[in-house]
This record gives sequence, structure tokens and C-alpha cells, in this order.
Amino acid sequence: MDVLLNEEEQMLKNLAREFLEKECPPDLARAMEADERGYPPALWRKLAELGWLGLALPETYGGQGLPLVYLGHIFEELGRAIAPVPIHSTMTAALAIARDGSEAMRREILPAVARGDMVLTWAFTEGDPRFLPQSVQLQAADRGDYFLVSGAKMFVDNFNVAQKCLVACRTAPGSSGAEGISLLLVDTQSPGISATQLSTLAKDKQFQVVFQGVRVPKSNLVGKQGQGWPVAERMLDQATALLCAQMVGATRKDAEMAIEYAKNRVAFGRPIGAFQSIQHLCADMIIWVDGGQLLTYEALWRMDQGLPASIEVSQAKAFCNDRCEAVVRSSQVIHGGIGFMVEFNLHLWFRRVSAWTMRLGTSFEHRARIANGLLDQPGHVRLGESMYQLSPSR
Amino acid sequence: MDFGFTPQQEALKQEVRQFIAENVTQEVIAELESAEEGGRGPNYRGLLLKAGERGWVGMSWPKEYGGQGGSRLNQYIVEEEFSRVGVSVGGAGSGAPAILAAGTEEQKRYFLPRIMRGEAVFALGFTEPQAGADLAGLQCRAVRDGDEFVVNGQKIFTTAAHYATHLYLMARTDPEVPKHKGISIFLVPMDTPGITVRPLWTIQNDPPAPIGTTYGQRRTNEVFLEDVHVPVSCMLGEENSGWYVGALGLNLDRVGASRYLLSVRRDEDIINWVKDNQFGGFSPGQDPAVRDRLAELWIEAQVCRLMTMRSMSLVERGSKFSYEGSAEKVFSPEHGVRTTETITQVLGPYAQLMNGSLGAIEDGLFAHNVMGSFQSGINHGSVQVMRDQVARRGLGMPRG
Ligand SMILES: Cc1cc2nc3c(=O)[nH]c(=O)nc-3n(C[C@H](O)[C@H](O)[C@H](O)COP(=O)(O)OP(=O)(O)OC[C@H]3O[C@@H](n4cnc5c(N)ncnc54)[C@H](O)[C@@H]3O)c2cc1C
Repeated sequence: MDVLLNEEEQMLKNLAREFLEKECPPDLARAMEADERGYPPALWRKLAELGWLGLALPETYGGQGLPLVYLGHIFEELGRAIAPVPIHSTMTAALAIARDGSEAMRREILPAVARGDMVLTWAFTEGDPRFLPQSVQLQAADRGDYFLVSGAKMFVDNFNVAQKCLVACRTAPGSSGAEGISLLLVDTQSPGISATQLSTLAKDKQFQVVFQGVRVPKSNLVGKQGQGWPVAERMLDQATALLCAQMVGATRKDAEMAIEYAKNRVAFGRPIGAFQSIQHLCADMIIWVDGGQLLTYEALWRMDQGLPASIEVSQAKAFCNDRCEAVVRSSQVIHGGIGFMVEFNLHLWFRRVSAWTMRLGTSFEHRARIANGLLDQPGHVRLGESMYQLSPSR
Repeated sequence: MDFGFTPQQEALKQEVRQFIAENVTQEVIAELESAEEGGRGPNYRGLLLKAGERGWVGMSWPKEYGGQGGSRLNQYIVEEEFSRVGVSVGGAGSGAPAILAAGTEEQKRYFLPRIMRGEAVFALGFTEPQAGADLAGLQCRAVRDGDEFVVNGQKIFTTAAHYATHLYLMARTDPEVPKHKGISIFLVPMDTPGITVRPLWTIQNDPPAPIGTTYGQRRTNEVFLEDVHVPVSCMLGEENSGWYVGALGLNLDRVGASRYLLSVRRDEDIINWVKDNQFGGFSPGQDPAVRDRLAELWIEAQVCRLMTMRSMSLVERGSKFSYEGSAEKVFSPEHGVRTTETITQVLGPYAQLMNGSLGAIEDGLFAHNVMGSFQSGINHGSVQVMRDQVARRGLGMPRG
């Protein structure tokens, strides 16, 4: 037990911060909001050269095989810099392929991702925004050696620049729950696909993607046919934990800007940061970010150990949803009117963190998962002990 | 980063649990529940000796003073298990951390083995009627007279003073300098002439708070000091450095197992209670609003745990605290209050029933908790003062 960073982790984090401070100023995030691609390919290439894109991918496929905790540090720093790169969607799909994809698929996709030659994304949500098996309704009719996919997905990240998209669908007609779900790796250029960009709070690139009789070869299955739910669940848990790391990084930076501002902005003859009400708000902001950070890394660490982590992931996301939002809103309040102005940078963080709280599971949804673990399993809970093996009741 | 315990540490945990199941007897519990003995009776001391034989008391203290020279984390593991049954095994609150950090060789050799055996017990003589949160404003005077100091003044809320062997006394030794710079600490035997102890009863005394209640303290005291002669050798740390020595002890006291458990025990209790029980066919654990709230509290409890582990990691590495101890001392007690107040709304009218009453739940524990849970956010550094420290020390914000 040592919840502080070890030397190697600290070094990685410092390097990441230095690099991003130099190569990724807030102006870049601002510019990319209006850019058609939404990310600068030159920066993407540099991330590949630094080894970040293959950091947690297996060494056999061009990666470095480092723990997810390390990737978490990178995501935290990318969040801090609100780096406009499609790394979250790419890693989400790549890690799922690394774990559950076929050998041929791994060989094709993973080295290309690590080299920076391939952007990936994934598609889960349709109408019902909850991350439940019944939310998946997209039909993929079994036609022997291929599937015919029809339906629509929402909130698909970076679809405009992704070469492949990992799609959750139903390959068993009439199935409803976890049974009959499959994950297919779909070429984004396949005939029958059309995409419409959504206009979002974070001005990021999200799409509605419509599939009209899209042919997907059976060899593109990730995991077994009809047994894709656990694959999807693991993918979503990892994606959620990495998003939390990104939120924590962005939120801490946002809080630091407010603290700095409070030290300099004078009102009633003194810096506003000398008022106890502002100090206490700032103290809470830092306490909350710290809390979110600790929860996030515990979840990532458990995944690295091969331990069940879905409850820890939900703990992190529900806490980050509520508290990170409270922090960035408080930063806005501390900045008074200026933070509301488009030319001032603070809103770049505010809008992103807010939007991230709405993605990959609401607080209610995650708490429902936790409540299930707490209340619906036999046995007693005890803090500090895993909820996956409850102790017998008194 | 490493969020796990080693197999050896897991085994230690199991061993301690086993020991507790076998050795924390009804007699020990009766002593712990007695307001007069405050849990320092013969059975309790016997238990402490036995635990000491296993090497579980003062585990992280150096060997030359009777400790094991072991890791602070192992000590934490042992402490958490014992704290759950209300037994202190020489961690926070014992006075030992400050003596180890600032004591003379002689003091260490005298006190540490005695603390281990339960023969030296400290009462914390910090607070005065006019100096609480603003502790540095204390007025109790210690005037040098040859090899002695002569102490005059009054302390309040001096818990344990009625059974303690020593007073861990903060007094003013130089009134001419700024208030933080004229304070010293003394380890004063309670049987020194001139010390009078008067009881102050808390709202948790009648009916008596069950073990484990937050704050769960039935009695505290006022202590009057009149011409108390204290040898210079009783001073802990340098003369006029008492503020810093005291702060060091407090910082170590703010973190650790007993503080943590004070804030989070009720989370376990209410969840396990609703799992096992219902009210005439109504099961609060199936109410979606209750479920959502309990999950939220559970998440907060994890944050309390992880902040405790962060403090342990810092101590284990020998690093200094910046704001981390204070942060924990804000988040955890306030969480404890949120849980306590949620429980009242989960149990409704049943939550008001005290021990002894028809229909009391968990022996009135939850009702007692309503009275005490907020106390944890007042003493040992109030949450307001702790937030000041996070902001000023941690974030470098200016003084008002
Ligand atoms: C059951 C119990 C046991 C105790 N045991 C001991 C013991 O063993 N030894 C001992 O020495 N003391 C003990 N105490 C005392 C405890 O530490 C004090 O109560 C505490 O320090 C607060 O002091 P006070 O009661 O004088 O409140 P005050 O200092 O008068 O504070 C009242 C309120 O004002 C707030 N406040 C004060 N200053 C500020 C500020 N600058 N900004 C904003 N708000 C502020 C406080 O946070 C608090 O909410 C005990 C208290 C209790 C209730």
C-alpha cells in the first residue's frame, strides 16, 4: 500500500506535463473547436513518437505493455492540457481489441495505433442513454460469413477521423438482455454508413452514425458472437476510468487557475483569496479533486491487478461527476464576470469537464451499480474489503 | 502506486481478528463502557499486555523503547482492527508519536514502555475556557523557578484527566513574545499537588453511549492548576517550541485508524442493518432514493479511507504533510455527519430511540450518533481551521 506516485510514475507525469505545456497551449484546444478534423495530426504524431499511444498496449504488438495506472497519468496530463486529440476513443477500442480481439485483428490494428497511423472509436449508445444491455438494439443479421448491420448510434466520438469503429449490436434477433450482444469492428468507410455531426457543449466531435445494411465480415467480431456483453462491460469500465483521469487532470488545472486568480484579484482592499469564504471554497475544491483522483487510481490499479473493478469505477465516476462539476463551477464563481467571457480561457476547461460528467454514465446510474453491490448481494459489507466477496451475515 | 496489502499484511489482519474474537471479553467491554475507568481497568490492561506479547502495541516504535521497529502501515492494520472494538494500541491519541518525535532519551525510555503496557495514560491539557480553536491564545502560565516551573491556570474538556497518569500540558512560558512563540509542553504527573479535576458530563452520558458511537464520550473534565511545581525535566521539546511540538502530535493524531473509523463506521452499520431488517414489510434498502443516497455515502467513505491511506503513505515514506492531514480532517468528519443525518431519514422515528427503549435499533447507537457525530469536526482542529490550513499552507493563499 502506497497511494503516492513512485519515482517512475512521477517522472512520466512530469515529462508529460512539460511536453504538453510546450506543445499544447490552450489556444490549440480553442482552435480545434472550429477545426473540421478536430485535432492536429502533427501533435498526434508526436504523441506516437513519445510512445503514449502504445503505452498500455502489449509489447508483441508494438506497445510497451505498461500498466493502466501509467496510462492514467498520461490521461490526467492530457486532461490538464485539454489536449484536442482523439486518444480516449482510440484507446478505448484499442484496449478492447488487445484483450478480446482476434490475433489477425491485433496484428493489423495495434501496431498501427501505436505508430499513430490509426484513429479508432467505439459506438454503444442509441436511444436509452444508460450503459445497460437493453440499451443495445442495433441489429446485425447473421448472413453466414458476414453480418448485415442496420440502425443508428449516438454520441460516437471522432467518427470523422476514425478508420475503425467498435460497434455494440445484437446478432441474435429477438434477444433482449445481455444475451445476443456482439461487438463488431466496423470500417468507417463501409458502404451504407452515414454520419451527422452533433453540436455539443464542449464543441468536440460527436456524431450520430446511421447504418443501412452495412456488411461486416464475421472475422471482425471482437469476442464471441452473442457473448459480447462482458467484453463491452470491460471496455466501458476502462473507458470510464480513463475519462475520470482526464476529468481529474482538467479539474485540478481549472481549480489552480481560480486559486491563482484569487491571490491577485483585489476587492474591498485586499485579494479576494484573503477572504475566508473564498479560501474555504478553494480548500474544498482541492479536497474534492484529490478524492476523485484517489478513487480513479484505485479503480485503474485494480484493473491492472486483474481484480474486479466495476464498483470502483462507478465510485470514481459518480464522485467525479458531482464533485468535478462543483469545482469547475466554483472556479467560474471565483472568476466573477471575466470567466464568462469567450476570450478568457477558463471556459475551455469548464465546458469540457461539464460535458464529461454527462458521458459514460450519470451519477445516478453509477450509484445504482454500487447500490446493487452494497444491498442486493448476500452478506455484510466492510470498508476496506472487496465487495465482490462479502462476509457472511451475523 | 499500490492500493493493496501484501499477503503478509492480509494474514496479520486475520490473526488480529482472531485474537480479538478470543480475547476482547465481556469483562473488557464492561470496562471500556465504564465512564469512570474509561476502559483502563485490570482486564483491559491484561488485554494490552497480551497484545503487547504479540508485538502489536507500538509496532512502529523503535526497538530500544519496547516497540517492534516495524512499519507504520502494519501498525495501522492492527490499530484498525482494535479500534473497531474500542481498544487503543498505542497509535494516535496515546501521546507516543510526539514523545518519539520530540522527547529526550530519558522521556522515551520512561514513557514508551509504560504507554505500551497501559501504565502511562495521558490526558490532553490543551483547551482552556478562552482558548479553543484559537489554541495559541492560551493563558495557563508556567513560570521558571530554578529547576522547576510553577504552573497556574485552568484547562477545560480535558478528557481522561480523571484516570490519566499524566497531563500533556500546554502552557505559556513567555508572555512577551508573539503568542505562538511563547508556549511549552510539559508531561506532568497527575498526582502532583495543586491539580484538581472536576467532571463535565456530556449529552452522551445518560443513557450511556454504546462503544463505537461518534463521539461516544460520556465524561470529560475541567482541570485546575494551582501552584503546580513541575521539574524542568518534564518539558517535552525545547522551551517555547511547544506550539510546534503540539502541532506535530496533533497532525499525527488527526490521521490514522481511530479517526477514520469514527467517520465511517456508521456507513457499514446502516447498510448492514437495512440488509438484515425491514419495518413491517417495508424494506428501506429497496427504496430507490435510499439506495442512491447510501451509494453516495459509500463512495465518500472510500474517499475517507483513501485519504487515510494517503496520510499513511506519507508517514511511511517519512515525508512531511503539506495539507493532506488537514484535508482528511475536513472531509471525513463532515462525511460522518452526512451519514448520521441520512440514517435518521432512513430509519425515521426509530432513529430517535435510545438504548434501553422498547424498539431501539442497534442499542440506540444511531440516536447517540446524532448527538456526537459533529464533534469530530470541532476538536483536534475544527473543520473551519482545517480549511484555513489547506488554503494557506497547502494552496499558499494570503492571510486575511
Ligand atoms: C467531547 C470533547 C472532548 C474533548 N477533549 C479534549 C481533550 O482531551 N483535550 C483538549 O485539550 N481539548 C479537548 N476538547 C476541546 C476541543 O478541542 C475544543 O472544543 C475545540 O478546540 C474547539 O474549541 P471551543 O470549544 O473553545 O470552540 P471555539 O474555539 O469557541 O469555536 C467555536 C466555533 O467557532 C469556529 N471558529 C473558531 N475560529 C474560527 C476561525 N478563525 N474561522 C472560522 N471559524 C472559527 C470553530 O470552528 C467553532 O465552530 C474536547 C471537546 C469535546 C467536546
